[in-house]
Amino acid sequence: MLILALSATASFTKPENIGTTAASMLWLLPLIASIAVTYKATKVPDIKAADFIKEVVLLFGSIVVFMAVIAVGLYGVERLITE
Amino acid sequence: MKLRSKENYVLFLLTVALTGWLVPGAGYFLLKETKRGTIILVALVLTFCVGLYVGSIGVIDPVNAKPWYVAQMMNSPLVAILGHLAKGGAYTVYGRPAEVAQIYTSVAGLLNLLCIVNAVYVAHLQLTQTTGDQKC
Repeated sequence: MLILALSATASFTKPENIGTTAASMLWLLPLIASIAVTYKATKVPDIKAADFIKEVVLLFGSIVVFMAVIAVGLYGVERLITE
Repeated sequence: MKLRSKENYVLFLLTVALTGWLVPGAGYFLLKETKRGTIILVALVLTFCVGLYVGSIGVIDPVNAKPWYVAQMMNSPLVAILGHLAKGGAYTVYGRPAEVAQIYTSVAGLLNLLCIVNAVYVAHLQLTQTTGDQKC
């Protein structure tokens, strides 16, 4: 138990290895999920599991889609300027 | 009597805000909104811990990253202890892990600020509704 606790604590003292690759953008998804859950928890008047999950999924999806659209737009602008 | 109830009102709102700052989501527990408080507690603590796991406690840097530190402090005053531990530069972190970790821990703090403000507003509504009911 002590070894488990010590190794858990030690993992917070050494950074993880994340490269500067396109895949590192996936770290965005858990953060968006957290934002969606917290925001909806403050906004939904009466929390019922099914409705709450539906609201969270909708917000999560709309943030992801909106960010993807912006990314594609910026990529298009970049292509126009550089070519 | 009126002054006293006004003092209680301000004191209650302050208690809700401070409790919500001390433990994320705890302001809602005082308002008997247990589900809401639990969801916020789990979401924010997880987000903050993921940030610390990715970048280590070195991302809490009150000296070289003051603006980030202010946002991180919104999580809880207990973050100051981590800041004190990491102050000497014993836990260095660079590059993408530092970026991801700073964003995670700071966004968790800013979300907690949102929750504190919302909990105070809900407390205000509850108190004014109670007073309104009593007047009727």
